[in-house]
Amino acid sequence: MSTVADVIHIDTRGGAAASFDRALRAVTRPVSVVWPRPTVDEWGRDAQFIEALSPVTHLRWDVSVGGEHHLSGGAALIVVNTRRFALTPVSTALALSDVLHRPVRFVGRPDTVPFGPFLRRMGGLLARPEEIAGALRAGDLVVLGAQGTLNPRQAGVVDHTLVAAALSEKVPVHVAATLSTVISRQARVEVAAALRSRKKRRGPLAEVELAEHAQRRLQDLLDEMGGTRTGVPGLGWLGEG
Amino acid sequence: MGSELGSLVATMLEAEPWVGALEGVDVDPPRRRLRKAVFHRIEPYHRQQVVDVVGRFNPHVLIHVAVWEPDARVTTAQARTFTTDAATSFLGAAAECPALEHIVVRSAACIYGRARGSLSRPDESAPPNPTTEFGRMAARLEAVANDVGRRTGVTIGAVRLAPVLGPHVPSPLGRLLRVPVVPFSAPADPPFAVVRDSDAASALVAAARVGLAEPVNVVGSGAITAWQAILRGRRLPLPLVGPEWGLARRLSHILGAPVPEHVVELLHRGRLVDGTRVQELLGFTPAHSTPEVIDRLYEWPSVIRVPSSLPWPGQPQIDRLDPETAEVAS
Repeated sequence: MSTVADVIHIDTRGGAAASFDRALRAVTRPVSVVWPRPTVDEWGRDAQFIEALSPVTHLRWDVSVGGEHHLSGGAALIVVNTRRFALTPVSTALALSDVLHRPVRFVGRPDTVPFGPFLRRMGGLLARPEEIAGALRAGDLVVLGAQGTLNPRQAGVVDHTLVAAALSEKVPVHVAATLSTVISRQARVEVAAALRSRKKRRGPLAEVELAEHAQRRLQDLLDEMGGTRTGVPGLGWLGEG
Repeated sequence: MGSELGSLVATMLEAEPWVGALEGVDVDPPRRRLRKAVFHRIEPYHRQQVVDVVGRFNPHVLIHVAVWEPDARVTTAQARTFTTDAATSFLGAAAECPALEHIVVRSAACIYGRARGSLSRPDESAPPNPTTEFGRMAARLEAVANDVGRRTGVTIGAVRLAPVLGPHVPSPLGRLLRVPVVPFSAPADPPFAVVRDSDAASALVAAARVGLAEPVNVVGSGAITAWQAILRGRRLPLPLVGPEWGLARRLSHILGAPVPEHVVELLHRGRLVDGTRVQELLGFTPAHSTPEVIDRLYEWPSVIRVPSSLPWPGQPQIDRLDPETAEVAS
């Protein structure tokens, strides 16, 4: 059989330059966040940045997640209880993202440097209904924290103006109970099935009742989960806060 | 029709089956070879001349691309004056045409502004709240167009473009990213998105074809930060934190890459817009993503070498020209 033609493969860059690039990338892997790859998504979340930070976040939190099968592949709003100063929405979003292998955003970043851009890279959204609605419209999972409480076993008030975004975009609302302590790495996130409202409302009562429903369901879940204990004799109560 | 974007739109319109006669007005001659279109070189402030030409042509559709981006080709003050003059003349003249059915205006994503607490990724329903001169120019242009629409009953479509980059498009952002040392905001380094000139032109043509009657955001998919763009272009990043930006802007201006306030805002606060409705409204999706456009930005040659039509002694053989750059001979 005779040869019809030879296929010549031409590299886009020289072989030496490509080898140098590969070697450089291998050497700089621990600081891979500086690689010139466009890793931010259309909301500013940076997967590479989160990956680079993961040793630090895992040093602080060791989160076990349950009930993630309740979350479908599409968009959903997840309301979580928040212990004051605990960054619960951030840790929940990172833990869910790890388990589900998809971006999970959280509500409540500031819009000032340096914390605003930092949290934006981690998937933070502004606490505005339009912002949440936009992310839900794009098919994302969004974690929304209830009002912070000092008692970790108490569900705070859920902002109905923010929950309204889920109604306007017709996406399911889930609640997720979280348990964490100040002194321990161990944390737990338990996602419940989507909330179902018995009453159909056409007006603004819909979001108010949905927010109240979410708070009640969240409280039920927290009661079912029980408290956390440190396991240290005489200091078990520390786990409560 | 004299700008790169206008010439590109005219070229695409010539290929559209629904376009019969095509005429254009600008201060500069077209940058591309036009086969069907008739061009009139008129200064925008010569209002009567514009009214005569547009009135005689009596168009069904007007595509208004006459928006001067500050520090792209002219200073901010001149850009403001030229854009206002052009809007008054062209849109005013079009309003007198009895056959007019539809107006498309080229607007900008800067129209949403980036005030503190404003949406990270506004969609078309977000109210305009411009925070830079370019954004205010876009808002004024849309206001004039909407006023014309209200008075005459024609539909108005505003195509809100992300920063437009292309091989020949004068862009302060593109120019800044290509200098050897590029300043960026170290504490923020926010993401932004851009659109390729061919995608912007396709969107304007599609808006005219479908009779767009509302605003639409046009932006390349994905996003990139200034730091990532600088590293991809193998430029030297210059991290700045705040007060030294004034000095950096002045130095950059002296070196030939002025940094207008909307580019400073982009580097400090980012610029993302929600462009998901473009498919629904225009039946079209930008073909190039933001990272692709940025990569292409660094591939475009600084000096375009075009062989002379007559050979000269010692002339080097130029085998191949980049098809993107081959059309321009200046």
